[in-house]
Amino acid sequence: MVFLLSKAPTQARKPIVWILTFVSGGVFVLFKYWPQPINFDKAKNLPNGPIESVGSLLNDLTSVFGTISQVLTAFMLGLGIFSILRIHGTRIAKQQKDWFFSVVLLVTMFSMVVFGYWDFHIRAANRTIDYDNAANWGFVNMGRDFLFEGLLQQMDAAMFSIIAFFILSAAYRAFRARSVEATIMLGTALLVIISLMGAVASGWDSAVDRIATGSNHDLLVNLKISEIANWITKTLQTPAITGIKFGIGLGTLSMALRIWLGLERGGK
Amino acid sequence: MQHVKPGWWSIDSPGLGQQYWDTGWFALFFTFIFMAFIVVNIKRAQGSKELFIRRIPGLNAIDEAVGRATEMGKPILMVPGLSDPVNAIAVQAINICAYVTKTAAKFSNPILMCAYSASMYTLAQEVIRDVYQQEGVPERFDPDSVRFISDRQFAFAAGVSGIIHREQTAAAFFLGEFYAESLIFAETANSIGAIQVASSTEATQTPFFIAACDYVLIGDEFYAASAYLTREPVLVGSLIGQDWSKVFAITCILCGAVSQSMFSCSHARGVEAAVQASSGNADAKKKNLADLKESETHSFVFSKLFKTNDPPEDLKIDRQPNAAAAPAAATNAPGGSN
Repeated sequence: MVFLLSKAPTQARKPIVWILTFVSGGVFVLFKYWPQPINFDKAKNLPNGPIESVGSLLNDLTSVFGTISQVLTAFMLGLGIFSILRIHGTRIAKQQKDWFFSVVLLVTMFSMVVFGYWDFHIRAANRTIDYDNAANWGFVNMGRDFLFEGLLQQMDAAMFSIIAFFILSAAYRAFRARSVEATIMLGTALLVIISLMGAVASGWDSAVDRIATGSNHDLLVNLKISEIANWITKTLQTPAITGIKFGIGLGTLSMALRIWLGLERGGK
Repeated sequence: MQHVKPGWWSIDSPGLGQQYWDTGWFALFFTFIFMAFIVVNIKRAQGSKELFIRRIPGLNAIDEAVGRATEMGKPILMVPGLSDPVNAIAVQAINICAYVTKTAAKFSNPILMCAYSASMYTLAQEVIRDVYQQEGVPERFDPDSVRFISDRQFAFAAGVSGIIHREQTAAAFFLGEFYAESLIFAETANSIGAIQVASSTEATQTPFFIAACDYVLIGDEFYAASAYLTREPVLVGSLIGQDWSKVFAITCILCGAVSQSMFSCSHARGVEAAVQASSGNADAKKKNLADLKESETHSFVFSKLFKTNDPPEDLKIDRQPNAAAAPAAATNAPGGSN
């Protein structure tokens, strides 16, 4: 398909791409809307009539188009790797600033690829050996484990941990009472934070309980910190987030519709 | 186990009715209405009618950010999110990045674009190259300005943060799908004093961007960007269509609230009547409440139009056996004859 597309005249390429997009997108749209047969096993039963037959066919077609998409993505991965090699290869060749880090990147990238595939090959060739038991590991298995679990996963975790410090610095800036809006946000956030502090929340709630019982005013119970925080999250926060999500959903639908109908002209 | 005989295309048919669109069909109709609104307004906008779009500060700031980068002689960084594979969000992010690049190309300002996925990298590179060609300066396009960093979330975050520090970018645009790494980007860019315009389609990340960035596009402002910046009839029309859809959705929400309130009142009255009718007899009370629950399953509530009821797990549908597939399945089965 890609070969045919490259041989097609330039003027014909856009319509071909649009037709392919429309057909493949149409399959997914139909799949979503067409009634799907339930409790149906194609290997054991025949579909009941045309409705179920079409439903079953659409189900099969979505996996075919899904596979095509995966194959195209795999081709693109090659281009991505080429981009990394070109940028960092040039930096090493010209010995630009920090070129040594480029060497580290390329060495680790190739090591991961080599050990990953080698390990996969060994595991596939010796299915009878239990590789979940580290006692059965050889040099390659250990190498892959060291690179993936020992280095990559740990560095991922380290990067994730850094977010805690960034939250602190961002919160400090955001919660300075510079305007009315910032002050409201600061007050609201403080109430929610206090409600999550077990000892403080428990003391506050007990005090409100005592006052409410003593004065026989049930309405005072609503002043419990847990009730206030619950009201803020359920009555203010959740509808606001749902509204934002709804807007995003509509925007995505509109964008998808434009792409599907060939009305979107990216980058113009 | 419930048995259902095969049915034909009729909503009354037990086969079709119970299997498929017994409830929840209005949600599908709802989506069709949205689509219709969008398509109708695209046609309306193509009829050269001037349609109004309100001012969006985050989008007005794009020119300001590019101008500042030009004055400082430093590059502009763009990150079109973590979409993998390319989806509608990624296409929209790249559209905004294309506009930024167009402005930057006019002032010969260098750009840097970091791609999370290889497919995003390929698409972005083509779009950015096209922008330089349209502006009549194809020689200014640097293929290394669009980079594939990594398709692992935190490796990508580390790579982009490193670029921000090394290149000392004057302006940063974070647009698209962002997750936990959003604050790493925003705070790193903030630490070097870069002007930032950001938007995340993930509602949970928007507060982080608001806390750390100069301008934020919230929710569907992200999708309004192309229409706002280019004023193309197709884009403006679809934006107006989205607004119509919102009005329709608000109407449905109000109907739902009224309907649910009426149902709650009727339920409360029903419970009261059931308790009174039982005259203190626990068994009678239990039976009356069960009868009430049963009768309420047939009463109309607006939300039932949107909620799909899953079929019973033990629903058995009578079907003919697949004679052609059976021998093949037996052959492929472990221990099957060859």
